[in-house]
Amino acid sequence: MKEWIFTTDHKRVGILYLIGSMAAFAVAGLLAMAIRFELTWVGPTLIEADTYNVFLYFHGAAMILGFLIPGLTGFMANYLLPMMIGAHDVAFPRLNALSVWLYWFGIVLALLTFVVPDPPDIMWTGYAPYSTQYSSGNLSFYVFTVHLIGFSSLLGAVNFLCTVIYMRAPGMGWNQINFFVWTILGAFVIQLIFVPVLATAVTLLLLDKYLGTSFFVPSAGGDVLLYENLFWFYSHPAVYVILLPAVGALMEIISTMSKNPIFNYRVAVYGGVWGVVLLGSDVWAHHLYTSGMVDWVRIGMMVTTLIISVPVGLITISLVFTLYKGAIRFNTGMYYAASCLYLILIGGLTGIPLAMSSLTLHLGETYFVMAHFHFIMGMLATFALFASVYHWFPKMTGRMYNEKVGKAGFWLNFIGVNLTFYPLFIIGVEGMPRRYFDYEMFPQFQGSQQLATVGAILVAAGIAVMLINWIYSAISGEKAPNNNPWESASLEWTATASPPGPGNFPQPPEVSADWTPYDYQPRTAS
Amino acid sequence: MTDGHTQHHWEYSMFPFILALGVFLGVPLAFASFFQYGSGLAGAVFGLAGLLLIVIGIAGWTSEGLAENSENGYALTGLPIFIVSETMIFLSLFVSYWMLRLTAAQWPPEGTPHIGVGMPIFMTIVLVSSSITYHFGEEKLDAGDNSGFKFWLQVSIGLGLLFLGCTLYEYNHLIHEGFTFGTNAKSTAFYAITGFHATHVLLGLGIFVSVLIPALSGKTNRTFTGAAGLYWHFVDIVWFFVVSQIYFW
Ligand SMILES: [Cu+2]
Repeated sequence: MKEWIFTTDHKRVGILYLIGSMAAFAVAGLLAMAIRFELTWVGPTLIEADTYNVFLYFHGAAMILGFLIPGLTGFMANYLLPMMIGAHDVAFPRLNALSVWLYWFGIVLALLTFVVPDPPDIMWTGYAPYSTQYSSGNLSFYVFTVHLIGFSSLLGAVNFLCTVIYMRAPGMGWNQINFFVWTILGAFVIQLIFVPVLATAVTLLLLDKYLGTSFFVPSAGGDVLLYENLFWFYSHPAVYVILLPAVGALMEIISTMSKNPIFNYRVAVYGGVWGVVLLGSDVWAHHLYTSGMVDWVRIGMMVTTLIISVPVGLITISLVFTLYKGAIRFNTGMYYAASCLYLILIGGLTGIPLAMSSLTLHLGETYFVMAHFHFIMGMLATFALFASVYHWFPKMTGRMYNEKVGKAGFWLNFIGVNLTFYPLFIIGVEGMPRRYFDYEMFPQFQGSQQLATVGAILVAAGIAVMLINWIYSAISGEKAPNNNPWESASLEWTATASPPGPGNFPQPPEVSADWTPYDYQPRTAS
Repeated sequence: MTDGHTQHHWEYSMFPFILALGVFLGVPLAFASFFQYGSGLAGAVFGLAGLLLIVIGIAGWTSEGLAENSENGYALTGLPIFIVSETMIFLSLFVSYWMLRLTAAQWPPEGTPHIGVGMPIFMTIVLVSSSITYHFGEEKLDAGDNSGFKFWLQVSIGLGLLFLGCTLYEYNHLIHEGFTFGTNAKSTAFYAITGFHATHVLLGLGIFVSVLIPALSGKTNRTFTGAAGLYWHFVDIVWFFVVSQIYFW
């Protein structure tokens, strides 16, 4: 037991991250179900309006800060990255343990929302002046949740940057590391630079509310738009903290399962990943189109927002063309990975109208925005995480999951999310506003809301089937036939046992100058 | 944590967990008890329990690290990486300050007392001297003179404390003149920025103390002392920006 709670081993820290993020996902998912049931009929039905606001707050905060970011960086980077580069652990193992426990206590603090008499009701954005002057909710819990999880992530950034710089296997050059490793580097560079801005923004909320300063008090010379700018200066790039490791993992899965090297590896790395990191810092004002700013900023940010589809497009091209003429093996992980190609298309295309400031006047603050970012965050990134757990399941447990049950869960999830969010896109365009507790002025949308709820029930069933499959198979699934059931060429499969022991590698690996983690039969020249 | 060769058992350490628990009790729970729920007693209990766990965590962690005696030097890269994010914190604070100041109708706004520049000049001298004295200490350490290192380290800690004393003296003076957190936009920026910098000085002093205590019994780690110095120099450099933006502009 103490070897788990006090562990400093990157694989066990990774598993702790996975457990924490799935717990946050489960709670936030149940709240989503409650929100969905409430919206199924016009008028107040299931929960109070105040409770609804608290649920909206917790759903957003827990899904982003508690599930997506720690799941895709904390879990994935910890479990996979050191093994992919041939390292026995991370550069600072104890700091890594501190990261995971700060994150866990961040979740515990967020969960206290349901215990205290004055839970925060300020969305995950915490906009001033509502959060500082009008809400009686416990702002400090929101602020310190951001601090704990943010600081945990900063320590992770320091740790993983040093790990990749110093601990690659002898002979492993920068163009030989896994694409996933590059995406983790990009994600942590973003965290390192932008998390402090969010941390400062919420700290100023704290000072305003509890110590009486006036950063966001216009009557005393403060400026509420300052908060929106600081907040989105981090929170737009945060999308890429989630997106980059997601596409990184998809690339690994697609390459392995289609036995093809990554198409255009260098373009995807230097143009795609680093293009996203560079451009991602210059688009945040698209969240404030309707809040007020001078025109040249509005138009400038519209242009940068549209241009960022170029690096994302470069990565997508590599994802799709890696499949070309591949010997594709469709297991459950690959089902999820393939569906992500469709999700990135729909999620990306629906982002384009939102980038246009003129269209945002109409679409902003409607269900269209909500459905758009759920396609990217709630489906693409989430499905990529599920794909990864399935793909690396034999590595983590030494056992195989049940393929039939896995695919059944996939179809429930996939049909469910489409059934949920397509109707919401449509009523969004027709003017259904976001966040409303009751839509008595728009009774014509009730039918679409009900379709969405049916979809959500399917997803809940799909998730339950998936979790049962994971837990059952981890305990008593069929033993994996060998250490490398998917016949991958990447170091975490070829050079370690499944599951790997302490120190990962029986022999510290060394690689030659022409080694790559995608050493599959190249396409025949035609 | 052995480097290079194969391990046969799972590594573990209880101190990161203890430190995280201490932070959890000592910061969010203590703050919320005191400010949100108005319970000074609960705040004090959580604060003291947290502080105790934090001290135990850091002490245990330091002694484990010194016992391993690993000198891979990763920390000398890790710390500058961390300083990038510290820089971003101060940059966001300065940007907030510039926004308040450049959109204000009148600066300094009404209700701002005269803030002298004598004190910040003296504080600058103190902080720069402390950076230099720590550098002397590091040179002694490299020459193998442990007691010389301890002497200069203690001088640096003393200068750091003097700096914090000056801050408290100045705050006390200004608050008596009616210049508090909530007075106006200037007080908002003044206390937030100087206060944030002062907490970094406090943090730096904490790091110095956790270098000093093992050094008293002759244990030092060159990577750790180097990283501590690097952090202290960073805090020193930030102070120049604070002085120029807050006091001299
Ligand atoms: Cu955005």
